[in-house]
Amino acid sequence: MGRIVLKNVTKTFGETQVIPPLDLTIEDGEFAVFVGPSGCGKSTLLRMIAGLEDLTSGAIEIEGEDATDVPPAKRGLAMVFQSYALYPHMSVRKNIGFPLRMAKMEQPEIDERVETAAKSLNLMDYLDRKPADLSGGQRQRVAIGRAIVREPEAFLFDEPLSNLDAALRVGMRLEIGELHERLKTTMIYVTHDQVEAMTMANKIVVLRAGVIEQVGSPLELYHKPRNVFVAGFIGSPKMNIFSGTEAEKMGAATIGIRPEHTGVSMTDGMWKGRVGVAEHLGSDTFIHVHDTGLADMITVRITGDIAVKHGDTIYLTPQADQIHKFDAQGLRI
Amino acid sequence: MSDRKLPRLLQTPAVLLLLVWMLIPLGMTLYFSFIRYVLNSLRRPEWTTPSFSNWRGFGNYEFVLKSKDFLFAIQNSLFIVCSILFLTVILGVLIAVLINKSFPGQGIVRVLLISPFFVMPAVNAVLWINMILDPVLGLQGIAVGGINDMITGLKDAPLVGWFFSMWPELHPISFRATQTSAYAVIIMVTWQWTPFAVLIFMTSLQSEDQQQKEAAVLDGANTWSQFRFLTLPHLARPIAIVVMIQAIFHLSLYAEIEIVSRGNGNKNLPYLIGEFANNNIGAASATGIFAVILANIVAIFLLRMIGKTLME
Ligand SMILES: Nc1ncnc2c1ncn2[C@@H]1O[C@H](COP(=O)(O)OP(=O)(O)O)[C@@H](O)[C@H]1O
Ligand SMILES: [Mg+2]
Repeated sequence: MGRIVLKNVTKTFGETQVIPPLDLTIEDGEFAVFVGPSGCGKSTLLRMIAGLEDLTSGAIEIEGEDATDVPPAKRGLAMVFQSYALYPHMSVRKNIGFPLRMAKMEQPEIDERVETAAKSLNLMDYLDRKPADLSGGQRQRVAIGRAIVREPEAFLFDEPLSNLDAALRVGMRLEIGELHERLKTTMIYVTHDQVEAMTMANKIVVLRAGVIEQVGSPLELYHKPRNVFVAGFIGSPKMNIFSGTEAEKMGAATIGIRPEHTGVSMTDGMWKGRVGVAEHLGSDTFIHVHDTGLADMITVRITGDIAVKHGDTIYLTPQADQIHKFDAQGLRI
Repeated sequence: MSDRKLPRLLQTPAVLLLLVWMLIPLGMTLYFSFIRYVLNSLRRPEWTTPSFSNWRGFGNYEFVLKSKDFLFAIQNSLFIVCSILFLTVILGVLIAVLINKSFPGQGIVRVLLISPFFVMPAVNAVLWINMILDPVLGLQGIAVGGINDMITGLKDAPLVGWFFSMWPELHPISFRATQTSAYAVIIMVTWQWTPFAVLIFMTSLQSEDQQQKEAAVLDGANTWSQFRFLTLPHLARPIAIVVMIQAIFHLSLYAEIEIVSRGNGNKNLPYLIGEFANNNIGAASATGIFAVILANIVAIFLLRMIGKTLME
């Protein structure tokens, strides 16, 4: 089914190379997430896979066949856009049925498939509405419906949730996850939000300036970031990363410790600091510690609650086996 | 309450001006259409001043309805307007879609395309009828003459001469004739107003969502389907605007008709009004009221039709 292989692909817009030579394999049935800061080339890469952008060089294989010069519609891929890209003059029913109509399918079969998709997406009550009369989440579901009726080899999502509010985003995240479990179809999902990447992916591809920094499962990236960039990008709150004498003592140019791997005490510990803002979430407490001499600010995450005030003196002790060490090039030691 | 009074007060002059502007001419037309009012009458000099004592009821309307040119003028008005609308909308959409893609020299082409709109209607008519459509001196005459000369020359050519000797001689069309003068008006007004349509459609095309197009490409829509299912519905509103504005403008065509054939074989309601107004203001006013009614019917009918066919 939907195995996608990128071989040495590059993309240049005018003079600027957005994607330097890049190799990547996405296995059949995988949920792959491209994650990276804005402007790093995630959308460009996805559009190249979809066929909406030509490759400057290299090749794309879909299901073992060269698809480099295959037109977009013939690649068997369905894409969900950030802006949803629904057809504003058509009802929901017509929107979802549009790819089938373009494939010259018989009307009764179109109706049947549209209804099946609409049922699975809870859109039955809205079939005769126009996109303008739907909420953001409903529009998103129509866009997904339009993708699933085609029964594609793979789904491509380009930041599909970034126009939704936070609560809806969590819900849609789960729905897309469910969809993947149910269909077992390859999905490639682009986001700049590492939480989305961590919660949804089987395989995360971390990109920076068009270069793949690391490919791996969410937990691999969490526990064994290949370099400083990935270490800082994956995880929330961010890993504390600093260099200096403390790092050299451990035989590294730079070290990182995650907020949740740092113990605190009011009496003694490895590093002394002053409490800045403490965020009490109930289940967790985030303490921002200043004046440690390590970095401007060290963030610590404590399970449960702890009684600290702004300005208190606090001692931090990192869990020794959870310290990430990096060499002068920023690579993991 | 007082915070509403001030805006109302400030609006009043504009509203009053508009009312005066529209209601007085309409009211006077209505008034004249119900009285006997002529510019010149030796037999009944009292009819030359408008007065309620000359009340004629629907007499002017009856007179107009029974006059021999009235039905023809209405049919001809509709024929000319609908033909122009049909041609300008189709040409406008085609040209707008063509020049919306970027190509070298785009700016110049766009300016050239818009330029017919800056020609005055009367000048436009004079240019077309004398310099382009004239069967002898115009481009048409020259072109037809040239083709005929070429074919005559080829008739003596070896081998293929027999083929060309079987061709007929072409005759230029005289566009001032009774049968063709309406076509001349349609051609020249279409030429002049297509740029207007192009301009409006082009603006609208530039606001078309590109991601929708990409989604359609992935959904398997070819160029035609993209045009049919995305671009045309997107253009429905601008098309309605172009049709409305043009319908109102072209129902009152006058200069072109006058210059092409002085109404010979080609009258519309305004031209008929002009003919009546040589003397019979009452009949001219009644015709004017008919014209208002016709314009409203045409506008409503056209809008309904566009709404149905394009919005699906
Ligand atoms: N059509 C284009 N022409 C020129 N530059 C482009 C074009 N599309 C994208 N870019 C550039 O390529 C880079 C990557 O863009 P994009 O793939 O959209 O990033 P992301 O989706 O990761 O935010 C950006 O610097 C952007 O300015
Ligand atoms: Mg993007």
